[in-house]
Amino acid sequence: MNILLVDDEPAIISALSPVLRSQGYAIATADSAAEALKAAELQQYELVLLDLGLPDADGIEIIGKLKQLTEGMIIILSARHLEAEKVRALDEGADDYVNKPFGIEELLARIRAASRRLRRSDTASQEKFVSDQLTVDFAQREIRLMGEEIKLSPKEFALLEVLCRHAGQVVTHRKLLIAGWSDPHADGQYLRSYIALLRQKLEYDAAEPQLILTEPGVGYRLAAVPVHG
Amino acid sequence: MAKSFPRRLISRNAQDALAAMVDIAIFALATVGTYFAQMWDRPRSAVLVYLVGVTLIGARSGLAWGVTAAVTASLIYNLFLSEPLFHFSASSAEELIPLIAFNVTAVLTGAMAGRLKDSVKLARAAEAKSAYLLRLSDELQRAIRIMDVLRIARGSLPFQRVRDVEIYLIREDGVYSAAGESGPFDTDGLVAEQIGGGASGRRPIHMLKGSGGEIGFVRFTLDDSPAGDQGVPDLQGIAIILGLAVDRCLLLERLSESEALQKSEELKTAILSSVSHDLRTPLTAIEAAATSLKAFDSSLSPRNRAEMLATISEQCRKLNRYTANLLDMGRIQAGIPSVLFTEVDVVEMLGVVLASVRETYPGQEIEKQIGLDSAVVRANPAMLEQVIFNLLENAILHGASERPIYLRLMRVGGACMLEIIDFGPGIPANEQALVFEKFYRSRAAAHRDGNGLGLHIANGFTQAFGGTVAIVSPHFEGVGTKIELTLPLAEMAFDHVEALQ
Repeated sequence: MNILLVDDEPAIISALSPVLRSQGYAIATADSAAEALKAAELQQYELVLLDLGLPDADGIEIIGKLKQLTEGMIIILSARHLEAEKVRALDEGADDYVNKPFGIEELLARIRAASRRLRRSDTASQEKFVSDQLTVDFAQREIRLMGEEIKLSPKEFALLEVLCRHAGQVVTHRKLLIAGWSDPHADGQYLRSYIALLRQKLEYDAAEPQLILTEPGVGYRLAAVPVHG
Repeated sequence: MAKSFPRRLISRNAQDALAAMVDIAIFALATVGTYFAQMWDRPRSAVLVYLVGVTLIGARSGLAWGVTAAVTASLIYNLFLSEPLFHFSASSAEELIPLIAFNVTAVLTGAMAGRLKDSVKLARAAEAKSAYLLRLSDELQRAIRIMDVLRIARGSLPFQRVRDVEIYLIREDGVYSAAGESGPFDTDGLVAEQIGGGASGRRPIHMLKGSGGEIGFVRFTLDDSPAGDQGVPDLQGIAIILGLAVDRCLLLERLSESEALQKSEELKTAILSSVSHDLRTPLTAIEAAATSLKAFDSSLSPRNRAEMLATISEQCRKLNRYTANLLDMGRIQAGIPSVLFTEVDVVEMLGVVLASVRETYPGQEIEKQIGLDSAVVRANPAMLEQVIFNLLENAILHGASERPIYLRLMRVGGACMLEIIDFGPGIPANEQALVFEKFYRSRAAAHRDGNGLGLHIANGFTQAFGGTVAIVSPHFEGVGTKIELTLPLAEMAFDHVEALQ
């Protein structure tokens, strides 16, 4: 997989490039919005790691342009407290984000999740989600947790399906509201309540979820990693 | 002084009427006296009696009354009291002398009496004026703010014709009303009023002079009564006294501003030295571990190497939390706009915080009792996360004991309450109010981890959400601390998720 790393901080580029290369990724770098767009025009990248604080432009503004130039995924590097910025970037077309500062494991996990979805969208719609604990058959609407069948209401299933199809990636409130209620402006309290119901059915301790994680102010993330197959 | 003024106006009118009646009585008496003297064929005495009357009236009531009396006396004497009767004649010296005598005497005594009266009147007015100015400047001694000056000046009115006073200050960026109306005062209307005429008569303006030139102006409102009746107010004098008071207040203002500035500079220096100390400690550990790994990589045991790497990443996380806290402190100082708030479920947020607390403090036992399926409040998600994390971290760092930390979430009326309970040493009563101060560290905690910002930020954010953080310590057999975080529930909150199904 080839990755375009866009950050104006040389220390970040010099710290990340060797690690990512050692993981088998091809890395190109850009230190400004203009350079990033130029690079994306010349070559297709499967993933862009985009820092939003660029010297020459607001990172959010170039997301749309990058999306036109490349088929790849975009992961935002952003500060924790800027949820509004993250939501805006995700609405513009970014696929995920990592809070700065991040550990390398976290970044690699996000890259892997992006790469999985990229591969899956190649083979059109996937029929099953299979992880260590959770199996979801989208066509049969069958859910198994540790081998045991779980009954879900249609809305609960609709929400779980979106989360599974984006496993490891954040899914915004907006996307989930569209999936469950076909209305991005539906009351967020419905969503919270149905997520709570899902957690009661799927989590060992719904008050400390390990599977459906909360991304405060942004959305939810399914922590399960699908097994290959 | 002010209150007695109208009463004196009435009594003066009565006095005038009485004086006129007395004058008429004197004149009548003199006429009767002259008549009898004439009857008894004592013409010289008759003239003298009349002369005494005219002199008396002139002395009592001034020139106008004296001359009126003299002319009337001349006519009456010439027509009715001396031969030929009913016929005015001034042909002989005998007839002419009384006429001249009456009138000259009346003019002389009247003029003298009038001048005396006027100077008495002037003296009285001057006395009232200086008494007023003295009292005004006396009362203005107490003024500390410009508002006080205006209040005292208005309180002394009405005086003479002055009904109201307005004070305006000329500052660098415009004219401000001392009445405290915000923003620069629009002087266009004032100028138009002055140019329009009439204003200068009824609403005269006088400049206020301070040590550094003109500092403002004062506009008086006068009533319509003629100036003569009540005396001319000394507007210039009042303006000078007001100018001195305003100037003093401005100086006081500037003085306290510079003092406050100095205090905040001192605070900034203290904060900076505390911050740089707290930043340097983890940096020192990181630098030491990193340089050791670089220099002695091959000679270090795998275990030592792993320990040093763990130190680096642990200290980095600590630095990250600290800088986040510093940023949050700045946000509290700047004020937190409620546009950042959305609906946040405290139950959900508790799950997020517990995940990161368990990661940061892996050995720490935490037991929870969550009595609500959801507790929706209006808050900023990242800030609420910080609040709960800081309160929990504070309990872990400063409330360490054999027992776990307990978390309880419950509903209390229209609010939800999160209790964080530890069985550590507790917080002494005299320190409980101080722990929310920024950079406050208890004496017991001075050597421990923490930066004195956690509770300050938790409290500051919670207040922005309309909630409270309270401390109960000791809460159990002389030990332990219970922190109560209370947040008002949003109206939309459902009591039970099951209600949906």
